[in-house]
This record gives sequence, structure tokens and C-alpha cells, in this order.
Amino acid sequence: MKKILIALAIILLFSAPLIVSTPFFVHLMIMVLMWTVLGASWNILGGYAGQVSFGHATFLGAGAYTTMLFYLKLGIAPWYGIPVGGLVAALIALPVGFICFRLRGPYFALSTLAVAEIIRLVALNWESLTNGPVGLLITTLPPVTLFGRSIDWESKMPFYYIVAILALAALLATYVMSRTRLGAYLLAIREDIDSAEAIGINTVQARVAALSLSAFFAGVAGGFYAMYLRYIDPDAVFPIALSVEMVFIAVVGGLTTVAGPLIGAIFLVTLGEVFRERFLVGHLIFYGIFMMIAIRYMPEGIWGKLRLWMGAQH
Amino acid sequence: MAMLKVTGLTKFFGGLRAVHDLSFEIEKGEILGLIGPNGAGKTTAFNLIAGFIRPSHGEVFLEGENIVGMKPYAVTRKGIARTFQIVKPFRKLSVLENVTLAAFLRFPARREAESRARGVLEGVGLGGKASLLATDLTLSEQKRLEIARALATQPKLLLLDEPMGGLNATEIEQASRLVVDLCKGGVTIIWVEHVLKAIMNACHRVVVINQGEKIADAPPERVVENPDVIAAYLGAKAK
Repeated sequence: MKKILIALAIILLFSAPLIVSTPFFVHLMIMVLMWTVLGASWNILGGYAGQVSFGHATFLGAGAYTTMLFYLKLGIAPWYGIPVGGLVAALIALPVGFICFRLRGPYFALSTLAVAEIIRLVALNWESLTNGPVGLLITTLPPVTLFGRSIDWESKMPFYYIVAILALAALLATYVMSRTRLGAYLLAIREDIDSAEAIGINTVQARVAALSLSAFFAGVAGGFYAMYLRYIDPDAVFPIALSVEMVFIAVVGGLTTVAGPLIGAIFLVTLGEVFRERFLVGHLIFYGIFMMIAIRYMPEGIWGKLRLWMGAQH
Repeated sequence: MAMLKVTGLTKFFGGLRAVHDLSFEIEKGEILGLIGPNGAGKTTAFNLIAGFIRPSHGEVFLEGENIVGMKPYAVTRKGIARTFQIVKPFRKLSVLENVTLAAFLRFPARREAESRARGVLEGVGLGGKASLLATDLTLSEQKRLEIARALATQPKLLLLDEPMGGLNATEIEQASRLVVDLCKGGVTIIWVEHVLKAIMNACHRVVVINQGEKIADAPPERVVENPDVIAAYLGAKAK
């Protein structure tokens, strides 16, 4: 039953833009899937490991700038640049983790906020590398031929399929991680960090590993974001708002669940667009009200609540 | 060689001298009671040995190896496991998972770790509760879970921090029996306790600390006659 549902979801995922191919819908789906990757990224650290980060835009931005700079300065095509963006984000996560994980709970959360601001200011002021506030712009993407057809980068379709694969990869990675010893250790750390240490878990190492994996996916999503928009500047990829949005998606979808970020992204990204269209002024008020209702009545998230109703164990 | 040898252990918290120049040894197979009035520094001594707090001075030797300054997880890997006075189970995980996580330390494969964990749970009398969430256990069961989790790391030395706290008379008797059985099974034990009766029956030797300093180190029947100990617990007679 579960396998059939997953198979159906994947078929739907890959056929959706063929069924409804209006640019608005495809754009909406691309945003939903990109936010799925970002929500999944946050879920690995904030859900499984229970370490709240308010600075995940750090990794999104690192991935975005890496992918962009690899293309602009070194001429390396984005399809290589996007995974490299993930790797750079994961590497940045190592020193960040070893420093910030000396702190616990709210102090860790605040330190991630500080890191994001530091990195944003570096990007803003290191003009020789990043162009500072002017930002980086790509006018054309390099041509690619796949199965004998050249890909049309002016259409949204290729972006849809790229981000669909990234989203699947992020959810699959979450699933695989949750089944490994690292996944089990992260739950122990979330539940009680002293007890985790007392049974021999190197909690700094495990948390850094979680942060690094999490950062990889945020970086990959950032790389994709840069290629999709073809323009980035520090305020577009490093703002606190992006970090907070990742938290919302992971929490509203359902923390510590594999599919939660997808569900969260479907609801919040769609609602965000609908509210923006309906109420040009003050759409954030409605968004905020929805958030409050969701957190008040579904603290376990939409997907978490559904699973409770279905009586699922895992 | 002593299983554990502590020399000159001292800890200041700011101006407060929580533990001062504490030295003692424990031989393999012994149950050593560590007692003292409230605030005497018993739990601090545990935290110093287990690596949760770094001492201001002093050394801790496990089978001759100096382990002072090691992180808690490293101390556990060396073979010292501890329980917490205020129980700290992984509340939203099952009883079995709580212990399996600890068994991972010696058995990285999940199947093996789980089967070891089941064995340990049987041993502490929680075999029938394996699938419950830890948070749903009674306090007495949670105290046993603490012990099970520590045992699953296969320690040479077990540090029990008030395993009887909050238990009723029957539960205390059962728990005492468990500790003695563990010792017979080959684990060396240091046991911090408030319930003196349990300590007196089970321990081979008792170290008494007061205001961070050792005031007695003797078999239980001698310790109760020691005037310094009586003074520490009941207050000295006016001279």
C-alpha cells in the first residue's frame, strides 16, 4: 500500500507539468519543490537532531554564490556547479558546526543567526569576488543536448525536472539517514544530549555530520535558485526571511518525518502565492494567521497529524 | 592494579569548593558506596570521574590509564558508564530503542545491538516493557532503564547516582538485589546513595564525604560508628 502510494506520487511528480503546463503552475511547482529541498534540509538538523537553526540561508547563499561564480569565473556549467555548491555549503558547515555546537539549545540557535549575518556581510563587502550589492547576473545558460534534443533554457520545463530530482534526492537522503546509526544517534541527541554522551555518542561529531548533510541540500537548492533566477545578490540569498521560511515549512509539514517538508512546501508555498494574488497589500497578515493556527492546532505538523490519524508507527 | 584510582580530585565552582582533594581507590569486583549529606559533593565527584565536568586539580586513573579531561563519550568508550540521579531517558523513544542506542557502542549492527539490548532488559526486569515509550514507565522502571542503558555499553565500572531516590521500600529491596547481582556478574560499582540502609547491606566498603572532603573510608559496619560521620549527618554535640 505504502509502496503503491509512493510510486503514484513519483509518477504524478514527473507528469504534473505535462498535465497542466501553464507557466504559472509550472513556476509554482518549481517553487514548491525547491522549498521541499530546503525544508528537508532544515528537517534533518532541526527535526531529527533537534538542533534549531535560524541561519540556514548561510548554506543556501553559499551554494548559490558557488554555482554562480563557478560558471561566471571558471566557466563550469551549472549542472556541475549545483552539486559543487552543495559540497561547498557542507564544507562551510564543518567549522560552523564545531564552533556553534559548543553551545546548546537557544544559544546554538542564536549563533546560527549570527553566522548568517556574518556571511551576508562578507558577501556584501567582498566586492572583488561577489560584486557586492550589485549582485551577479547570468544572461544565457550554456547549451545542453540530452537524448539528441537540445534543452530550451527559456522554458521552465528543464528547471522543473532538475528540481524534481533534487527534491526526490533530499527526501530519499532523509529516509536513508533515518535508518542508519547516525539517524538513531540524532534522535538520542534530540531527546537528551547528556544521556547521549553518557552512552558513548560523540554528540559534537554527530551534530556536525547532521549539519553538514543538511547544509549540502540547502546549498544544492541555493545553486538551483541562482540558475533559475539567473540573478543573485546578498539580500536575495542571505536574508533571515529565507532561514525562517525553511523553519516554517519543516515545522508545518511535520518534523522528523520524511515527507513532511514536501507537504509543508505544498501548503505554504501555494498559500503564499494565493494570498499574494488575492491581497496584494498585507498578504503576509493572512500568512501569519495561517501559521498561528497551524502551530496551535497541529504542533506535530500536517503530515505528522495525518500519520497519527492513520495510526502509523513510523 | 586498582580498577579506578582517584587522586587529589578538586573542583571549584567560582569560590565554592565543591570537591576538595578527594582520593580513593576501588578494586575490581567491589561495590563502593559513596555517601554524604546533601551538597557534600557526591554528584560532582561523579561528574568529574565521568568527564561531564573538568576538575580544577587531580587525576582519575582507570586501570592505570589517566582519563582526566576526556569527554563523557570517550570515558564511556573506555569502560565507565553512569546513570543520572534525575533520570534522563530518551522519552519519546521506546524502552528497547533506549537501550539499543547504548548497545550500538559495542555492536554497530542494529540486529546484534537489539538482541543485546533485549538481553540487558531481561536482566533488569524490563523484558516485558520493551515496546513501551520510556516516558510511560514508572519512576522505578525509569531508574532501571537508566541502569540498563548504562549496562548496554558493557562497562567495567558502573557509576550509580542515587538509583533508590524516590522508590518505595519494596522497590528499594528489588533494586538493591539488582545491584548486588550486577556485581556478581562481574561489574565493579560505585554507588552514590541517600538511602543508607540499602548501602549498608550491599556495599563492601563506604567512602563518606562531607563538604567536598573525604571523612571516612571503611567497611559499612565501621563507618556507622565513626564519630566524624555521625557528626556530619546529625551535627556535632555542643562542646
